[in-house]
Amino acid sequence: MLLLLAPTLLGLTIGVFGSVLATLALSFFDWDMLTPIKWAGTSNYSSLPNDRMFGTALINTTLFSLIYVPLTLAIGFAVACLMNRHIRGISLLRALFFLPVVSSPTAVGLLWSWIFAQDQGVLNSFITVLGGNPVNWLGPKVILYSVVIVNVWGAIGEGMIVFLAGLQAIPRELYEAARVDGATTWQRLIYVTLPAMVPSLFFQGVLSTIHAFQAFDYIYMLTRLSNGNSTFPTLVFSVYRTGFRFFRMGDAAAQAVVLTIIIALFTLFYMRIQKKFGAEA
Amino acid sequence: MTLFGGPVDIAVWQRLSADFEKTHPGIKLKVEVNDWDSYWEKLRVLVAGGTAPDVFAMDASNYPDWQARGALLKLQPFIDAEPDQLKGVFPISLEAYKTPDGYYGLPRDIQTIALFYNKDMFDDAGVAYPTDSWTWDDLRAAAKKLTRDKNGDGTIDQWGLFAELIDMEVFWSSVLWSYGAEIVDVKNGKTLIGSPEAMKAWNFIAGMVLDDKSIPTSEQLRQFGLDGFQAGVTAMGVSGHWSVPDYVPATFKWGVAPMPKGPAGRATSINSAGFTISSTTQHPKEAWELLKFAIGPHAQEELAQLGFAIPIQEAITASPAYLVQKNAPIDHKLFVDALAYAHLKPVFKGYEEWASAVGDALHRAWSGEVPIADAIHEAVAAGDEVLANNR
Amino acid sequence: MSRRAEEIRGNVIAVALLLTGGIVMVAPFIWMVSTSLKLPADQYSRSLIPPIFTFANYRDIWTIMPFHIMLWNSFKIAMIATFGQLLTCSMGAFIFAVTRFRGRDALFFLLLITLMVPQQITTIPQFILFKWLGLYGTQVPMYLPSFLGGAFGTFLLRQYFKTIPIELAEAARIDGASLLTIYWRIYLPLAKPALAAFAIFAFMFSWNDLFTALIYLPSDMQTTTLPVGLALMQQQYAGKWTLMMAAVLISVAPIIIAFLIAQKHFIEGISMSGFK
Repeated sequence: MLLLLAPTLLGLTIGVFGSVLATLALSFFDWDMLTPIKWAGTSNYSSLPNDRMFGTALINTTLFSLIYVPLTLAIGFAVACLMNRHIRGISLLRALFFLPVVSSPTAVGLLWSWIFAQDQGVLNSFITVLGGNPVNWLGPKVILYSVVIVNVWGAIGEGMIVFLAGLQAIPRELYEAARVDGATTWQRLIYVTLPAMVPSLFFQGVLSTIHAFQAFDYIYMLTRLSNGNSTFPTLVFSVYRTGFRFFRMGDAAAQAVVLTIIIALFTLFYMRIQKKFGAEA
Repeated sequence: MTLFGGPVDIAVWQRLSADFEKTHPGIKLKVEVNDWDSYWEKLRVLVAGGTAPDVFAMDASNYPDWQARGALLKLQPFIDAEPDQLKGVFPISLEAYKTPDGYYGLPRDIQTIALFYNKDMFDDAGVAYPTDSWTWDDLRAAAKKLTRDKNGDGTIDQWGLFAELIDMEVFWSSVLWSYGAEIVDVKNGKTLIGSPEAMKAWNFIAGMVLDDKSIPTSEQLRQFGLDGFQAGVTAMGVSGHWSVPDYVPATFKWGVAPMPKGPAGRATSINSAGFTISSTTQHPKEAWELLKFAIGPHAQEELAQLGFAIPIQEAITASPAYLVQKNAPIDHKLFVDALAYAHLKPVFKGYEEWASAVGDALHRAWSGEVPIADAIHEAVAAGDEVLANNR
Repeated sequence: MSRRAEEIRGNVIAVALLLTGGIVMVAPFIWMVSTSLKLPADQYSRSLIPPIFTFANYRDIWTIMPFHIMLWNSFKIAMIATFGQLLTCSMGAFIFAVTRFRGRDALFFLLLITLMVPQQITTIPQFILFKWLGLYGTQVPMYLPSFLGGAFGTFLLRQYFKTIPIELAEAARIDGASLLTIYWRIYLPLAKPALAAFAIFAFMFSWNDLFTALIYLPSDMQTTTLPVGLALMQQQYAGKWTLMMAAVLISVAPIIIAFLIAQKHFIEGISMSGFK
């Protein structure tokens, strides 16, 4: 047993010391990367509420996650269920859904900015043709939904892969038995597929939450300003900016700790739900 | 040695490092080039991890942040030993690297800002090309005429002016100076962009952005890759010499003019990229040799041909190496002449954080969230806080 | 309704839905391909079909940088890293899924925590560690961590292993099989869909890893990987989308190939009727 667990244990030890504890420790110091490190007590935490950039990032990221996670889970799951069948050419369809995952965020960012553009944008052209008023998709009011759309679009393929693999573990006999009992497609989904997919759903739930709270690429591409700032700053962006660009590693570490705690709380919450469904965490 | 740049820079530096090794037997030079973002990311980790490159590129804006934290080697002793090295270098380009106890870095090239204009669009609209007697009001009037809805769909598809509205370097610092305002008083930790003179300048810019709508916002420009002039959707653009290689392949005819005059005269911003030596280098002498080489005539002539910047050697800016760039047949002298009325882009410790705070506030004004006066009020408060933390 | 008819009807609805979605999903990619075939002057033209077709972009990018060297570097590293991840993550996942020991769940939660901490902060401590090990400047930091398990893969595979009836392992145990045998003979073969899925992720993570390559490898065209080269190219060719798209497409081609190879194995389970 130890032999099999050895690499993980070694990696975990390094991970815990090198990343978890290192971040935690750094959050109690002032460090600008270049001059010697100084003890700061809890001042990095007590100054967090006054950091307006961090506050904005926290609100943005939380709102983003609350919409993004359920949406990406639901769509990814639905796509995987639809994909899970033997039809000629379906492998090509699967590849289509996977393509966004590999498309470069820079390229895709430009394309989405065409779609979202206020004046000659693709989306607004449709809306005006249908008689609606053009929407400022990248403006302050709607930007949250716009970045959710792009991120969900980019993540469906990942969810699809995980769920497809999970679906393979469900024994066919279960479906046959349900069918014999006269269960409808819907009932089969609820009583056979969903319970068997709890482990995959839990995985994807945790991963999507981590993704959401660490979201960066697409959002930055769509909201980047010329001074390197963003009109929709997220938490990791704030961590990066505070630490590396403002030379305040200690403050950045405190932000990272807050970020980690939020994700960990969500994970514990998912574990509770999972237990409710009778599965072991 | 490490520096920021693109594939072209690699090619030039491979040639230059071969030349350097030839004239300096015994020194082996290894050059690494990264793109701007990657460069700073890597440099921070390497320096913090105690593996700093011997010589590395620096931007004048970031210089105080690195210098104040002891990452850079003091160059004053070398300069005192060979004072002739700085002869012929534009004095204003050296200003940014001077500290109370001497130089910790030297400039490699200079940037000044000028007005680019799309001749085709001016001809189409029957507007006269910008001249060196233009004032900001002339520019505004022309920009208004050049802001058009060409395909008649009810939305603007050609704007008068492309101007970067968040970062100070290309546009708003020059406007503020030409209205007689100042940007920042580092000594006393004061952000000065809220003075009565400055407010006049801000109202002028806001008039163009919000009333005339002749300057597109970044939301509008994102679909064109942010540089509206290059994309051919604005009739004019303010930018530095670094944009010239980008504009050369354009399908439209274009020209350059000096920045327009304001109530207090003409102004432009000067910024520079430089070289610094790591304070932990094992080879200070060799590093100094390399630095001398990089700012010396031979390397400067080669770099001038890259076409991204103005060389720091006065003699070269008057020579064909700079003035006659076969890829870019424009008036390069104009960028050098601008030095006469140029203001040094303010550099100070905490610059990035200050610029970030001010930029965030400005963005709220340009997107119409708050009136410009409120945004400036907010910017001054946030900027002063950063300055206080970085004293 | 006969079973066959019902199945066909289901398939038709599914394909119709998926095709509609598929178009939305794939449109940006098609546009990337189309842009890479356009003349530079047409780069902002919104027509999907290039006004004039050209393959010149694919030729020109080779004169900018030695793509084949960076492709090879990336490929080599990604293959080693994927192998390491598949092996060590599946080992750890097996233990977490099948055995019981004190503190197992706490240990697993700790593993998840490592995934939640943003990596930006710990770059410098990690750099100092690798430097201390004498590995700075080599390609080793690019794949060595892949041989030490990892939260993502261990988590993914553990979840899958848990869906395999534990009775299988218990029966084998009674027959005297060692844990190692159960892992190798029973769990790995049964977990093929999950392993295939994870292989794609592992390959992709390594392939796209700009940051590690940037920090640990000398930034010269001979030793560095493709993402570093692409970032460098972007500095100078940022507005030149036709060239950038050609370069980007070349860089994502291997991931698409990896996906096509691996995806055959996702669906293998369908034909098998449960577990024998």
